[in-house]
Amino acid sequence: MKKTNNKIKTLLVLITLSLISLIICPMIGINFISYENAFKNQELAFIFFSIRIPRTLLAFFVGGGLAVSGMIYQAVFRNPLADPYTLGVSSGASLGAALSIIAGVGINAFGLSFVTLGALLGAIASIVLVYLFACLKENNSNTIILAGVVIATICSGCIMFLYYVGNKHDSYRIIRWIMGGVDGANYNLLIFIIIPLAIFLIVTEIFMPFLDLLITGDLIAHSRGVNVKKTRNFFIIITAITIGFLVSACGPIGFVGIISPHACRIIMPGIRHRMLSVYSFLLGGSFLVWADALARTVAPPSEIPVGIITSIIGGPLFLIMLFREKNQIIL
Amino acid sequence: MNAIKIKNLDFSYKNNKVLSNINLTIEKNQKWALIGKNGAGKSTLIKIIAGFLKIPNGKLILLDQDISLCSAKIRSKIVAYVPQNLEIIIPYTVFDFVMLARFRSMGIFGIPSCEDINIVNEALELCDITHVKNRLMNSLSGGEIQRAVLAGAVAQQTPILLLDEPTTFLDPYHQRQFFDAIERIKSTRELTMLMITHDINTAMSQCSHVAAIVDGKIFFSGTKEKFKGLCPKILFEIFGIDFDCYKCENKNTYIFGAWN
Repeated sequence: MKKTNNKIKTLLVLITLSLISLIICPMIGINFISYENAFKNQELAFIFFSIRIPRTLLAFFVGGGLAVSGMIYQAVFRNPLADPYTLGVSSGASLGAALSIIAGVGINAFGLSFVTLGALLGAIASIVLVYLFACLKENNSNTIILAGVVIATICSGCIMFLYYVGNKHDSYRIIRWIMGGVDGANYNLLIFIIIPLAIFLIVTEIFMPFLDLLITGDLIAHSRGVNVKKTRNFFIIITAITIGFLVSACGPIGFVGIISPHACRIIMPGIRHRMLSVYSFLLGGSFLVWADALARTVAPPSEIPVGIITSIIGGPLFLIMLFREKNQIIL
Repeated sequence: MNAIKIKNLDFSYKNNKVLSNINLTIEKNQKWALIGKNGAGKSTLIKIIAGFLKIPNGKLILLDQDISLCSAKIRSKIVAYVPQNLEIIIPYTVFDFVMLARFRSMGIFGIPSCEDINIVNEALELCDITHVKNRLMNSLSGGEIQRAVLAGAVAQQTPILLLDEPTTFLDPYHQRQFFDAIERIKSTRELTMLMITHDINTAMSQCSHVAAIVDGKIFFSGTKEKFKGLCPKILFEIFGIDFDCYKCENKNTYIFGAWN
């Protein structure tokens, strides 16, 4: 009973943290805009409602989505080092984005930039490769991880080549895209990620008990009635597709996907995946919202990419948690 | 009624033939020990029976059902498996870990019913780990972990239980506790058990029948009394070393040792 109370208390704390983040952070920026001013002043209203609100929401959903994706990959591969980018989806997206930048086509479709669509195509191509590996290789997650690493390396090589041969402007855009950020947020981009993310969260939430069993080992999971290969491939593919959408929208924002699930495991040891995914989503979302608020205020008048903040701030924070934790980190 | 019936079963890992022409019939409620040298094919056979490995030919019938045609869900209601040790550290509490065994009887949202909770509590009781049920699995001793794994298999409520060297890493005290738990389970319901073991004394004291595999073939299958009658010669033929066989004073038990 005490344990259940703690779980609910922690959940309430995380929900409160998320709500506070979503309410306060849109006000923060190079200029502080209060809700009162946003409603009074037309110019400020535009900045507040058309830029900061979608940006904050985008950061929240991307952060949450990356955190849940990281949690799923850590469980599927039974590897605490796995993160959303383990299978090379982000590298595929980055290569797609780089090719789009070099191609220099300035068209928009469905309110989305050509670079975003190019990144999505790159992500889909890498997902197809991952899918082939996942289906061909029976019950061997290490092989799939290695295949992902190789895909990422090949894509990185191609990106470096494009960066090297591209003109100064294009090369800067490539490197800026790879740093990741939510600064290009608008409502179209928000819809672009929210629909696949919502489907992903609902479907995976239903099947979370399978993930609980998957990490007990192939033999035990199988003995308990789980079709290990099908379940693993299902989680790999649905997660890869979601990551493809998230990365296409925001670039590869690092660290959120690996630290958020671990931080939640430290906060509430022994927690099952259904609740852990909710915790991770709320923590990852809030973390990225605050990181983005910091990114747009720390070096005025310019903004720095949020990926830099997540690594510089998130890294030490996580190290502190790690050293304070008496038990070893387990999945 | 046969609990396990294996007919003309062959199995190969790529081109390496591991089992050939296996025929074995195990009646309901019997306790079988599966013995043999390392690499003889014991674990492969038990993984085939658990449905983890698919068989290219031959037949495997569990409780009159051709198991190769069954889904993982149906198979999990017939046969449970206890490994030698856990592959990884499980991050759940003992209660949650054992509750995972009820996964297939729960609905799509995975919420346990009162019956599921009662079954899990009973399994914890039978395996004598109720006192640690709220502790994390990674904080338990080796003996407690193995009994928690057994409790999971018990909570699955299957008529067949497969054990792959379940007490290899346990000291004699915890081995005794483990087998006491199995005795308690057997006293509550019908249970057919097939256990791989390298300890001949365990096989003789805990099982009613013995099957021995040599080079991927069933070399012996029958009652333990018949097996004892062939000892120590048959042990030499199975393991390739001499065994001594001592009868304990005033007790109808034997001790088998390979220390000469």
